[in-house]
Formats: sequence, structure tokens, C-alpha cells
Amino acid sequence: MTARRIDADALLDLATEMLRAEVLPALAPEQRYAGAMIANALEIARRALAEEVEAAEWSLLDSLYEEGEGSTAQLARDIRADTLPKGKAADIAEALRTLLIAELRVRNPRFLASRGIGG
Amino acid sequence: MTMAASSRPRTLDPANLDPLQRWLASAVEASRVEITRADLLSGGAVQENWRIHAMIDGGPRAGTHALALRTDAVARLPMSLDRPREFACIKAAHAVGVLVAEPIAECADKSVIGAPFTVQRLLSGTAQARRIIRDPDLAGFGPALAREIGSQLARIHAIRPPNDALAFLPLPEPDAVGAAVAEMRRALDKASEPRPALEYVLAWLLSHKPAARPTSLVHGDFRTGNYLIENGQLTGILDWEFCHWGDPREDLGWFCARCWRFGNDALAAGGIATRADLLEGYNAASDAPITESELAFWEILGAARWAVIALLQGQRFLTGGERSLELALTGLMSAEMEFDALEAIAALEAGRPIP
Repeated sequence: MTARRIDADALLDLATEMLRAEVLPALAPEQRYAGAMIANALEIARRALAEEVEAAEWSLLDSLYEEGEGSTAQLARDIRADTLPKGKAADIAEALRTLLIAELRVRNPRFLASRGIGG
Repeated sequence: MTMAASSRPRTLDPANLDPLQRWLASAVEASRVEITRADLLSGGAVQENWRIHAMIDGGPRAGTHALALRTDAVARLPMSLDRPREFACIKAAHAVGVLVAEPIAECADKSVIGAPFTVQRLLSGTAQARRIIRDPDLAGFGPALAREIGSQLARIHAIRPPNDALAFLPLPEPDAVGAAVAEMRRALDKASEPRPALEYVLAWLLSHKPAARPTSLVHGDFRTGNYLIENGQLTGILDWEFCHWGDPREDLGWFCARCWRFGNDALAAGGIATRADLLEGYNAASDAPITESELAFWEILGAARWAVIALLQGQRFLTGGERSLELALTGLMSAEMEFDALEAIAALEAGRPIP
């Protein structure tokens, strides 16, 4: 892929490509697991820069609380204490699922694919 | 003398085996023991596993033996048993015919090899989950393997309190699920990242608690990856450090949880066979049969448990000062188990079987 600018995304992309193409195959067997973990971490970091998990979070929080007032910590507390605003608790499972999907697009898209959810 | 692993051993010195030979001779009532080979199989900072070839002269075990020597772990996960207690559980299971590496001797004296250790007969076979799951013959041996695993689990679960040899294991609280959820909530409170989806799963578990079953010995980490097979046959059950008294369905749910199928998602029983295969073996050997629909709750509990463990591992990286990429990546995995748990709950609420 040709990057338009030498930005963090392009650098991480290049670093991961080099790691996979030139470094991993040359590693001794006992170092391959560490090498694979490094490649995985670089890819997660790259997707984290590109994706907007926060947007999904705010969309969920703004549907439950006054705009800009909610937080995932507050939501976690309200779910535990069963104090979600009445009438808004019904769709919470589906909203949480949407949030997890946004998160997993960054963390592990292959997992989502294995669960039948594409990019 | 060969060294199979590259990490430097901290205990047994292959150039000085005399103390171990003398100790082993006394432990197995032999006149003399000669160790002809000692290979470090795995280990490092936490724990070491050695494969030992011993020629035993005299006594009830005279002959040549392949043995496994394990040291105690320096740093253990919360809830895990120390090596002597784990060994006591293995002995209790071996005594009722569970397929486990025969326990031979244990040594608390640090002067023998530098750390306490235990000795068991070495089992053959592979425990590597992905190798088992991708075996081209899996369709042939999988169902019978799952039935055998079910039958072994029933044998473990037939061990019930009180049991003098296992008196050190605390009895569960009457509301075991409630206690488990409370413990997971305490763990979540220590994590710096709020997890609303996991809170939702825990609240669901509390409001769907099944009636309790008689308390049994529970292996605590019974899944593909923690048993050995050779030629499609079960040769032994490993990793007993999470043994505890609890609900027997916990082990079956953990075994079937979606996170332990290693990509073989359609085969719910550990990626090797169907739930029906596993339960067929279990119910044929148990006086307390379990139904497939009962398992769903325990699979969801298993997913929640693994999500919490993953979060705690990530926390060691975030705030525990451990600069480990493996811990950081494990922490990120909690979202996968949360997702699976939500999907299972949604299926149940819609009256469908869980994936």
C-alpha cells in the first residue's frame, strides 16, 4: 500500500510489513512467538489510530444519559446496581454488543469474522 | 546429558545429580537410583518441568522409568493451589482411577535441587490444542474422545466432601454462584477500565442462578489444551492447580465455553465433538446426570470468568509495572469473551440454543 504521508499509520504499516516479511521467517523457533506478538501489537496499534471506538461509546452513552454526561464507568455502575433509566434498559444488550463490535474491530477483526461479522 | 529448552534452569543441575538420586532412592525404597538423562522441558522464572530417565535398583519400582519432575511455581495466579496441594488433588483423583500421571513422590526439602518439587510418571501424548483440533482424523476419534473425557470428569466429580486428604480445600458458600459473581465484581473494581458489557453478563448470571447441585471436586481448568492424547486416545489430565469444591457443571461449562474451541466453533465440546457426545460419556458414568440445556448457564459463567482473568492480566501491565506484551494482549481479549457471553444470552432470551 502506498501512503500519502509519512504519518504514524504509514510507519506502523511499513514496520509490520517488514517484520512479517523479513524478520519473522528468520527467527529461531523459540523467538517466533515473541515475534508474532510484536506483529500483533503493531497491528492493533495501527487499527487503534484509524478506528473510532470512542464514537461508538458516545453514541451509546448519549442514548442513555444527558448529552455529554454519561461515562462507561457510570454505565458499568448503573448496570450493576440496576439503576439504568427506566425505558432505556431494554435495548441495552444490543447497544453493548454494538460497542463490543467497535472495540473488536480494533482489537481482533479475525475474531469478529469467526463470529460471522465482517469488516 | 541434553538440554531441550534454551532457558537456563534455576534448580536442578544436570552436572550434580547425586542429591536427587539419593533422595529418589529413599523415596521409592530403592537401593540405588541412577539418573541417565535430565531434560528441561519448559520453565524459567515461574516454574520448571524436567523429564528424567531413572534406573531404579531394588524396591517396588525397580526398573527403568521416564519421570516428570515439577518444581513449585514462584508466582502463582490468584486462586491457584501451591504444588503440594495440587499434588494432593492429583493423588485423590489417581486413587479413584482418573487418568492422571501417577503421583510418585514429593519433596519439600529445598536442599535437594534448590526448590520443592514433585515426581510423577511421565505421560506420552500431545496437549497442544491446535494440533488436536486440526488433526485430520479428528472426525473419527473426536466423539469417543469426548465420551471418555466426560466419563473421566464424572469420576472426578464423584469425589465429594468430606475428604480427609483434601481437608485443606475450603467448602463453597451455600450460594456458590453469588459468591463467584461477587468475586468477579471485586476483580472488576480493581481494573482501571470499566467494562459495562461484563457487568451486564454478571447481572444476568445473578438473576438466572440454577438450583445448586451436590458439591463435588471440580478440576477448575478442564479444557482442550489441558489433557494429553496419543493416537486419538486420552492419556492423561493435566494442570490441577485450580481444583476446588464446587458445582460439577462448572467443569462441563468451562470445557464447552466458546473461547476453548480453538476455532472449531461447531464442535461445542472443546472443539473436538458435540455437547451430546461429552454428556453421553458423563451421564453413563455419573449418578447425577446433566442435561445439555443446563450447560448454557455454565458456559456463560465460564466466558465471564475468562474475561475477568484476561482483564486482571492486562491490569498487571497497566498498573502492576510488568512490561509484558503478552499480558497487554491478553488484557485486550476480554472483549471477545464478553461478546460471546452476550451472544449466548441473546440466544437464550430468544429461545434458541446457544452457539
